[in-house]
Amino acid sequence: MEKKEKNEYAIIVDNVSKRFKIYYDKPNTLKERLVFWNKTKLNYHQVLENINLKIKKGESVALIGVNGSGKSTLLKLMTKIIYPTTGKIITNGKLTSLLELGAGFHPDFTGRENIYFNASIFGLTAAEIDERVQDIIDFSELGEFIDSPVRTYSSGMYMRLAFSVAINVDAEILLIDEILAVGDQHFQDKCFAKLKELKESDKTIVIVSHSLGPVQELCDRGVWIYEGKVREDGKIKKVVEDYLKVCG
Amino acid sequence: MFKELYNYRQLLKSNVSKEIRGKYKGSFLGVLWSFVNPLLMTLVYAIVFPFILKSTQPHYVTFIVIAILPWTWFTSVISQGTNTIVVNGGIIKKVYFPREILPISIVTSGLINFLISCLIIAIFLIFSGIGFSWYVIFLPLIVLTQYILQLGLVFITSSIDVYIRDAEYIINFIVSMVFYGTPILYSSDLFPAKISWLLNLNPLTTIIESYRNIFYYQTMPNMTALGIVFAVSCLILWIGYKIFKKLEKGFAEEL
Repeated sequence: MEKKEKNEYAIIVDNVSKRFKIYYDKPNTLKERLVFWNKTKLNYHQVLENINLKIKKGESVALIGVNGSGKSTLLKLMTKIIYPTTGKIITNGKLTSLLELGAGFHPDFTGRENIYFNASIFGLTAAEIDERVQDIIDFSELGEFIDSPVRTYSSGMYMRLAFSVAINVDAEILLIDEILAVGDQHFQDKCFAKLKELKESDKTIVIVSHSLGPVQELCDRGVWIYEGKVREDGKIKKVVEDYLKVCG
Repeated sequence: MFKELYNYRQLLKSNVSKEIRGKYKGSFLGVLWSFVNPLLMTLVYAIVFPFILKSTQPHYVTFIVIAILPWTWFTSVISQGTNTIVVNGGIIKKVYFPREILPISIVTSGLINFLISCLIIAIFLIFSGIGFSWYVIFLPLIVLTQYILQLGLVFITSSIDVYIRDAEYIINFIVSMVFYGTPILYSSDLFPAKISWLLNLNPLTTIIESYRNIFYYQTMPNMTALGIVFAVSCLILWIGYKIFKKLEKGFAEEL
């Protein structure tokens, strides 16, 4: 049972709650810790409460909800950047997160060097990157700029390079946070087409987005997060419809 | 743990080379600074000590170079290692990767620097006329002990520094104190016998003495002492790793 479940699902969110500590004056130094010991005003902010979610392999899921409902926190928990307060999350398969593009780009290194560095953060070996580097450069459409330092790039070029790396690492699970708006219309269309292609090739995709239009086209399943709880989980059309009735 | 580190070996590799190349980026001498610095330090001590303290140690410059180079490895690893998590906060908050990679790459890039600087030791040994003995074969064992000890310490200091930023300053102070509590500028038999136990509590004493044994005195290192220090270092590494793993879960939120 346990084994079968593990193989069938890409992500299992098991009764997860997350709360953040909110300090008014965060004691960062030893002096503050000693002087204000036990006196620091500390509040807890419950972001997620008893979330249960099972995402099958090959499924594409959209997390929707208003700002501050906890969607992005849930996504961060799935990538293991932060850890749940209670409950656990199991992921099964190689995972890439496109939470913030270009994290870890080094401004003095060239685009090509940054491809190697960035892809290695996603856990690729040099040989694997060698295979993909041309695809990444082609996809980014940076041409000869690829050998200039990244600090000379415009913000659009920067994002294009970052997106190209993230999308070409061949992960089985893709976690995407509101980044369907990269570059100009042409590049956006291209990204969207690439995501669709990945979806067709049976990758598991989880997207957080407010652009309900494209999301409906890309995803089959919608999960509406409301005040830290799952309010509705089902076919994307139905979920978006109900969501718009309340929040539209 | 090892499987995951193996999967991320490319990240470890590129991080180590970034550490070596990036540190002196923009400076005129570049990477050479990691060798010029200890040499300049040696020069100062070599002028000051024989002059003021009337030290009678033969080949005094070689005597201290052998100790200062491993010491430089130690201090640079501790000072860079302690804030490596804080410095890399931006990326820790955005991407997942095994966090242990950061301390490991600091200690490893230090190792590479040290191995290269062993050439300096070799040059001094040749020109002072001391030469080499077959005891040099113990070098890997001593280096390994120092590596394990430092990795363990950096696991502890880097993860604590995230929660208490003072750690950096406190540790830098302790390190500069330990400099005088380690037989670097003097030989350990010069230490007052009454408090020599204090000197022996410091695992670096045995490590530095062992380097000196194989290079300078050309004798066997004290294997009992080295064995104990090796065991203690492994223990520190194990404890350090546990602490790191425990504190790691809060990194993204505390930074």
